[in-house]
Amino acid sequence: MRLTDWQLAFEQHLLSETQIANSGFAATLLGGPTLDVETGLAIYHNAYLSRLQEVLRHDFGAIWYWLGDDEFAALTEAYVRRYPSAHYSLRWLGERFAAFILEHLVAGQSAPLAELARLEWAFTLAFDAPQGQPLTLNDMAQLPPEAWPGLQVTLAPSVQQLLCRFNTLAIWRASKAESDFPDSQALAPAHICLVWRHQNVCHYRSLEPAEMCALAGMVTTGWNFSELCSALAVTFGEGAPLQAVTWLKQWVQDGLLQRRVP
Amino acid sequence: MSASLPSLGYGLGLRSEYYQQILEQSPAVDWFEVISENYLVQGGKALYYLDAIAERYPLVMHGVSLSIGGPHALDTDYLKQIKQLAERIQPAWISDHLCWSRGNAHQLHDLLPLPYTEESLYHVAGRVRQVQDVLQRPLVLENVSSYVRAKADDFTEWEFLNALAHLTGCQLLLDVNNVYVSSRNHGFDAWTFIRNLPPESIRQLHLAGHMDYGDYVVDTHDHPVCDPVWALYQQTLEHLGPVSTLLERDDHFPPFEELLTELSKARELGATALARRALCA
Ligand SMILES: [Fe+2]
Repeated sequence: MRLTDWQLAFEQHLLSETQIANSGFAATLLGGPTLDVETGLAIYHNAYLSRLQEVLRHDFGAIWYWLGDDEFAALTEAYVRRYPSAHYSLRWLGERFAAFILEHLVAGQSAPLAELARLEWAFTLAFDAPQGQPLTLNDMAQLPPEAWPGLQVTLAPSVQQLLCRFNTLAIWRASKAESDFPDSQALAPAHICLVWRHQNVCHYRSLEPAEMCALAGMVTTGWNFSELCSALAVTFGEGAPLQAVTWLKQWVQDGLLQRRVP
Repeated sequence: MSASLPSLGYGLGLRSEYYQQILEQSPAVDWFEVISENYLVQGGKALYYLDAIAERYPLVMHGVSLSIGGPHALDTDYLKQIKQLAERIQPAWISDHLCWSRGNAHQLHDLLPLPYTEESLYHVAGRVRQVQDVLQRPLVLENVSSYVRAKADDFTEWEFLNALAHLTGCQLLLDVNNVYVSSRNHGFDAWTFIRNLPPESIRQLHLAGHMDYGDYVVDTHDHPVCDPVWALYQQTLEHLGPVSTLLERDDHFPPFEELLTELSKARELGATALARRALCA
């Protein structure tokens, strides 16, 4: 058997659902004095699946906690059979897990679960995203008064935005605390949750609609500070600049923003 | 006979569980081995600690996904990232495994054994040269534990490693525990394996624990080193002279102090073996 054919047969053995290998492939192998070929192949087969499942237990701890050992094992086995790893680093193994949950489970169950998976994945993305150059309060203090009206910002590279249609954050918190789960509930209206890294620690926060609109205006639409103030004037009238400064200070303190380079 | 490559002394695998303690306590560890893939990221805690520890200790890069024997083309993007990381932390050397970890279609994330045939030898040798051209330094390759072997083998594993070192100038990371595990599983003599490797090519040793199931042994890196492996380690040092030694632990992480105690044991047993070697010289 040529090397590439032998490796193809080995790969098919690892990926197959059963740990009993194809007899043609097994016939190319030797065991040892007390280790037969079937056991040797089973060791590789088990190691392949359990290594991948261990990574998913680590990256999706809340889903594991929610589903329990058996259901989580079944779901992750189905996932890695459907989407075997495509990246050399196991860090990316869970990239399609949320999407897989939506296609694999019935709708009623899948939507809240997929949202939780997306939240957990956001933490992994925030964890090792590029550092960027987040604005600090010190930077703001040194900003000359004439630069304020034209100030433009973007989100720091680690910031992930999630649309939460369910009480996913409450479920995630319960799993971290290993306490009882709240029932899954739809939220009306949906809210936005941010997940990001600041000084090497991951943070999360859900935003009220008004604050979210203000933030999106700046980081997505590209408003400068004076445009933010005019937009806020509709709701806050005279208090608009104060509200704008309050939020901006909060965002900077949280490490959410960096300067937009014109 | 003597190993010609200078020794860094006694090192530990760098694991995130111990980052903070290493920085706070500056433990008496001569060097650390880092899993390269853990640091091929763009930012975050891992790189922060890596940079801080690189300022205080010599580092060595140990990869798990080069797949030097794989059926696919070498991943040039991966190699480029390895090279960039090496520029960042200036490792004393860069190692991976004599194995394949990626198949035709997918990443398999295991250190899979190769048939030790002429076909494999020339396949791997060509790829080692390619890697060395990119990295501009000898690649260091580790022998893996295995649970099956190919009937088609033309060589023993040690003959294969020998031939590879001679064909490419690559160096060897001799994992003493892996030799022990494979010798039990396949029924060969562990000392025959070690004594037939080219001493001048041995850059580093690994020590680790395993799970013994009686009929076979599985390389798990989640236990302390066992007595037969310690004995084999002493015999190896007596034969080779001083070689950089690394204690690996990848699961069931004990308190850091326990690893330091096990590393002290390696130092003591190593010193005894080297003293015996001096007496017999
Ligand atoms: Fe090793």
